[in-house]
Amino acid sequence: MNPSSLAQLLVVFRTELKNWGRDRRSLISVLVGSLFGPLIIAFMFNTMANRQRQVEDVKIPVVGAEHAPALVDWLRQQPGIEIIAGPDDPQEAVRTKREDVVVVIPKDFAEKFTASKPAQVRFVSDSSSQTARPRLQRIRGLFQRYNSEIASLRLIGRGLSPVVASPLQLEDVEVASAQQRAAQILSFIPLFIMMAAFTGAMSISTDSTAGERERGSLEALLINPAPRSAIAAGKWLAGTATSMLSVIITGALLYAIFDYIPLQDLGLRFRLGGPQLMAVLGAVLPLCPFIVAIQMYLATFAKSFKEAQSYLSLLMMVQMVPGFLATMYPLSSKAWMYFVPWVGQQVLLTDVLGGKAPSVLFFIAAAALNIVIAAVAVQGTTALLQREKIIFGR
Amino acid sequence: MIRIEHLHKRFGDVRAVDGVTFTAPDGAVTGLLGPNGAGKTTTLRMLYTLMRPDEGRILVDDVDAVTDPQGARLRLGVLPDQSGLYPRLTAREHIEYFGELQGITGADLRNRVDHLLKMLDMTSIADRRSAGYSHGERTKTALARAIVHNPKNVLLDEPTNGLDVMSTRAVREIIRRLKSEGHTVLFSSHVMQEVSALCDTIVVIARGKIVASGSPDDLRAQTGHQNLEDAFVALSGVDGVAS
Repeated sequence: MNPSSLAQLLVVFRTELKNWGRDRRSLISVLVGSLFGPLIIAFMFNTMANRQRQVEDVKIPVVGAEHAPALVDWLRQQPGIEIIAGPDDPQEAVRTKREDVVVVIPKDFAEKFTASKPAQVRFVSDSSSQTARPRLQRIRGLFQRYNSEIASLRLIGRGLSPVVASPLQLEDVEVASAQQRAAQILSFIPLFIMMAAFTGAMSISTDSTAGERERGSLEALLINPAPRSAIAAGKWLAGTATSMLSVIITGALLYAIFDYIPLQDLGLRFRLGGPQLMAVLGAVLPLCPFIVAIQMYLATFAKSFKEAQSYLSLLMMVQMVPGFLATMYPLSSKAWMYFVPWVGQQVLLTDVLGGKAPSVLFFIAAAALNIVIAAVAVQGTTALLQREKIIFGR
Repeated sequence: MIRIEHLHKRFGDVRAVDGVTFTAPDGAVTGLLGPNGAGKTTTLRMLYTLMRPDEGRILVDDVDAVTDPQGARLRLGVLPDQSGLYPRLTAREHIEYFGELQGITGADLRNRVDHLLKMLDMTSIADRRSAGYSHGERTKTALARAIVHNPKNVLLDEPTNGLDVMSTRAVREIIRRLKSEGHTVLFSSHVMQEVSALCDTIVVIARGKIVASGSPDDLRAQTGHQNLEDAFVALSGVDGVAS
């Protein structure tokens, strides 16, 4: 490309961006496109963290606390536990949802306890209630701990090792836990970032191609002595810039959100720090020129602005498929996947966010491939702009 | 100078342009006159290189527009059939955009833009976005950006179509001015008065063929009609299209 074509390319690039920057609608669409994902993630995590905290900070209504002062004192010392006076009619209170769980300590508790006989403690709850179950589990866990502590003391008092009384060591491996739900939310992040790349470019991709023709300014533009390749490339770069902008906004927001959300409270080792953010951008930014080039080719091909928009909506669905599949069936990353546009970025992002560090070579290979395909698509758009049927509409 | 020889263009079975030959000399205004659908726009589109002729030769000055479209475009300023604007750019920005695409920059560009804005009496709208322009203001903007590089040859496809009296006069004024500066001006119209008021040579086209050409007086003589409009109707063989 000779220097004057390059200058013309830059003129087209600059003008397209200027034109775009003045369009409130396209600015809003970029903003919405890049805010959407991070806000949803922030909202979901926040709700989850709240629920978790609710489970941890438990007020336990106890009926008959005066019968077991030592037990109640021990409960009070546990973190996040507050003991309050129980309702007069525990069963009625639970049935009417005033309380989730009520602990009832019968009158004969102290008597049985001092006699080293099993002393009864009753939990009144409604197992069909979603919020009651984790709470009951937590309270029951507390009592079980007290139970085994006292059991150990009694055994030691009788000269036996407490280990004798524990033939089994039980350990829960929770699969449907908060962690898992959090991991599921995290698996949406790649999808949201790639959507930002897509939506960020849409307005320039359609406006500067099908829109340009529909306004009737395409003819005049093409009569200029600028080669079609310079015009197509200038528009492509302008779209790429807005797409990248949208990705960067999304990335920065996610970074800010994860700085704010206490993920460790949810038991997650996930981190989105500076290096991770860089790796995310390194994976997705090279996708932008590719997405824009494909969008632009389709939009140039479309008969009208409306048709261009519907092509792009369809394309967006297609591009979401690998992302959605990945949220449902966690992909084991195979080497070939890195070389498929969209899928490759998805896999790279999953690796990065999952704490794995893929080889730099994969980043470079995925980027190079994207850019090669993008160049071919821009060539295709250039060729379309030579066609009379495309220039004058069909 | 523009020379067109044996130009042919076919769309499916329709011979839109069927052997058109004419010359538009320097320092003169040539009018391409014909009813709607006669082949004026197709002829001009081939001339400004966005369409490829099936047959025939087009010379812009000495450049063959078919084999060297880029070279031809350098020598052309065109107000095309469709000359839409970018609604969010101002008139000044439109002219600058095309000027820069022509390779004009810096102070030179600024001077030309100012000159055109003044010449076309557009200074009041120069820095307003084009979204709210009247039809005349839009045409003036499109015209200004078409001639920002001071092209030797100017093509105007129905430049006064739909304009009010004042704007029509302004466009005519520019055409005369371009002629006096030695430019080749070729414009198309379906309006007889328009053509007769401005043209040195009239080329009448109908159904893709040239049916007559010459000065207004020649045409009257050829057809035996004193009234040019009657002459036009007789020549194009279509009743009621010339208004």
